[in-house]
Amino acid sequence: MTIWWLVLILAAIGSAGIAFVWLAVRIGRTPQTKAKGVDESYKDAAEHDIEHLFNEEFREELRNRGRLHFEKIISENAMFLQQDLRLTTSQLNEYMKTEITTRLKDEFGKYEQSIMDAKQLAVESIQKTNVAIEEQRKLLSQQVQQEILADKEETIKRFEANMGDIVNHYVLAAIGSQIDLNDQLEYILGELESNKKAIIEDIRSGA
Amino acid sequence: MAHKSSADPKPLKLPVSVAGPADLGRLIREAELIDDTLLQLGLRSGGKEVKLPKTSRLMDQVADLNGLNLLRANDRKALRSFLDGVKKASPVMHMSFSADPGPDFMDKLMTWLRREIHPTVLLNIGLQPNIGAGCILRTTNKQFDFSLRQDFAGKRDLLLQKIAGAGAQTGTPKGEA
Repeated sequence: MTIWWLVLILAAIGSAGIAFVWLAVRIGRTPQTKAKGVDESYKDAAEHDIEHLFNEEFREELRNRGRLHFEKIISENAMFLQQDLRLTTSQLNEYMKTEITTRLKDEFGKYEQSIMDAKQLAVESIQKTNVAIEEQRKLLSQQVQQEILADKEETIKRFEANMGDIVNHYVLAAIGSQIDLNDQLEYILGELESNKKAIIEDIRSGA
Repeated sequence: MAHKSSADPKPLKLPVSVAGPADLGRLIREAELIDDTLLQLGLRSGGKEVKLPKTSRLMDQVADLNGLNLLRANDRKALRSFLDGVKKASPVMHMSFSADPGPDFMDKLMTWLRREIHPTVLLNIGLQPNIGAGCILRTTNKQFDFSLRQDFAGKRDLLLQKIAGAGAQTGTPKGEA
């Protein structure tokens, strides 16, 4: 039952009351043009009966009854309205609950899905980063190995290239102070003897 | 001092103690000084016999070796001519040693050089401690490295073979400590 029903009911009651009141008023009036005599007596009798029947108390009673009926109808309709409102409210609550729950579930589901997606993306990114780091590590390790080998080769080459100086330095450090020039004379004269021709030739060509 | 005949001039010799151009230069200056001194003394003394001024050990050795009498003008002239000739024409070599050579060493070395290379060869001595043993000889246009360092460099392949052989025996690859 809605408010519109309530209004209609009230309007019907009001109309009935008004009609009743009008009828009562109309019956109470006596037309001037009716013939006197019997009519007058009937009329007077009717008026007297009406006056007798519809006295103030009766009218007051009617009014009270009308008020009570009206109040009753109003109360009933108010109660119907209240019940209807309560029903509507509970239905609305239920609907809201359902809708909110559904929406929340949907949103949480989406949120959870987005979190899972982000987690998956992060895991994939970390895995890719790990793969890249591993590749870089291998590459760097290879480069370092190559550089170490190159340095080693370079050191060996330098050692081999300067081996004479190294051994010479070692020999001098070990026994340099014990080698006298007189001990070297035989070696020097031997070297001079071996290169005598070249020495003489250079001296003659220079002269 | 023996008197030499000028008819058959014997080629003069340079003693081994006169090793380098510096010694030669001193001898030449001393010969000139002797010449001048004796000339002045002769002029002052009016023909009387004069005494030879004190000479250096080198000059004495030159005179003794060649039998020269420095009081005689001819001998002095021959000596100066000889010394000038040596200064102009003798080859000069440079030898570097790791330490300062002693007199005995120089005598033996100069004896060999004057005998085998040139009778009046002159020698400049240098010091080069980093060559260790041996010497480095520089002639007019060339340099001869007779040092131990050069000898080791020449025998480098032998040394590498020995190191490789030692490494194979111990199971260590060549070049690793």
